[in-house]
Amino acid sequence: MELLDRYLEAVRKHLPWQRQDDIIAELRANLEAQLEEKEAALGRPLTKAEAEAWIKQLGSPMHMAAPYQPQQYLIGPAIFPIYRNVMKIALTWTAAVYCVANAVALLTKTPQMIDVVHAIANLPFVLLTTAAWVTLVFAAIEFAVAHQALKLPAVCSPSVAWSLASLPPLGTQANGGKRPKSFAVAVAEVIFGFIFLVWLLLVPGHPYLLMGPGAFLIDALPYQLAPVWIPVFWCAVAVNVLQLGWHMENLIRGTWQKPQPILHYAAKAIGLIPLVLLLTAPDHAAILLKHPALDQARYGATLFTINTSIHWSVAIICAIVTIQLLWDIAQSILNANRKRAAAM
Amino acid sequence: MGYSMTLTENLFENLRLELRRGCLTLAVLAQLRVERYGYTLRKALADDGLVIDESTLYPLLRRLEAQGLLASEWREEEKRNKRFYRLTPDGELIFMQLLAEWHAINASVTASLQTTNNNL
Repeated sequence: MELLDRYLEAVRKHLPWQRQDDIIAELRANLEAQLEEKEAALGRPLTKAEAEAWIKQLGSPMHMAAPYQPQQYLIGPAIFPIYRNVMKIALTWTAAVYCVANAVALLTKTPQMIDVVHAIANLPFVLLTTAAWVTLVFAAIEFAVAHQALKLPAVCSPSVAWSLASLPPLGTQANGGKRPKSFAVAVAEVIFGFIFLVWLLLVPGHPYLLMGPGAFLIDALPYQLAPVWIPVFWCAVAVNVLQLGWHMENLIRGTWQKPQPILHYAAKAIGLIPLVLLLTAPDHAAILLKHPALDQARYGATLFTINTSIHWSVAIICAIVTIQLLWDIAQSILNANRKRAAAM
Repeated sequence: MGYSMTLTENLFENLRLELRRGCLTLAVLAQLRVERYGYTLRKALADDGLVIDESTLYPLLRRLEAQGLLASEWREEEKRNKRFYRLTPDGELIFMQLLAEWHAINASVTASLQTTNNNL
């Protein structure tokens, strides 16, 4: 039957080439047996319309051939959970190493805007490259597992060692009644922490990033920043580097939902150091005259007012932060005591 | 309304296929305790109420053979070469285990239905 021959030829094109002849021979035998039985039942050969209807109900040649293809995933369901975890860790580490390396590179020279833009613009490509490598490695593992299933140990089974300590805390109970921090928020903390750090490093060379157009008026003023701002600035950079490192570590270890009150209070306390440095500046001098010998008589009184205002502003901020910190610590201690009493 | 009906129908179809997949394997193994070739196997299944497409049955036979549960041989019958399949000893063993599992599942579902029917 010509129609059946044409159908089988079309099916052949979609079959694995090593087994084409064998599969087609078997299909032919089965379909011809079916055809013979139909014709025997009718007592005559099928008409053209009947033959077309019969072939049509077999399904398209591609549909007929598809189940003969080996079932192959790029990354199958057995190893996909491992792939997803490894991808998260690889991307986080890549982002962390990239951020630190670029921050160090920027610190070793006067940061230029173009360098920062270049570093930020390159990050997606670096992450894409990492993702591509991880995917490639897992696709190779999937291929090996699929083709050498009996020779490879199970890569994902219920017996894989795991620790009860790795279980996450129960959301609101473990976080003082607040919703636990989501992965997106934890990632955002790292990204915005990095952007803020870069911005902070750029400010000395590009003051308009802090003061906007007003930065261009500073050159015309008779005042300049006192040397105390140098340790204050680097101290602020160090605090931000520490916080960024802390957030990155939490992300890498998957502990961003775990309450870490001591680290939280330590970060707040360290954040007080730049303020204390400013408070203890000699003569409370945060601002100096560019030419004291020339301008002291004219601008001396204004300078004193500015420095006094800065000193008291910083003192008030320092007091607020300290009180808030002490209040938070006291609340934590009270909560801990309440829990202990409730457990007894 | 029409959209939600389509979703429901799709969901039912997917679940039905999922349910049938394992049962088909069991039915094919049951039939192949006696040697058969593809078309007569398909007819036997249909006669027992299990209609199965050619594009499902014939590749399934290949897979079961690749897994070592079936053995096949080309042989001439009624002036035509046909590929005959039968259970291997491993296939026989696994068929018995699957059959026991199927009976256990069937009994559990029946018991669950009975319990829920009594509570309704």
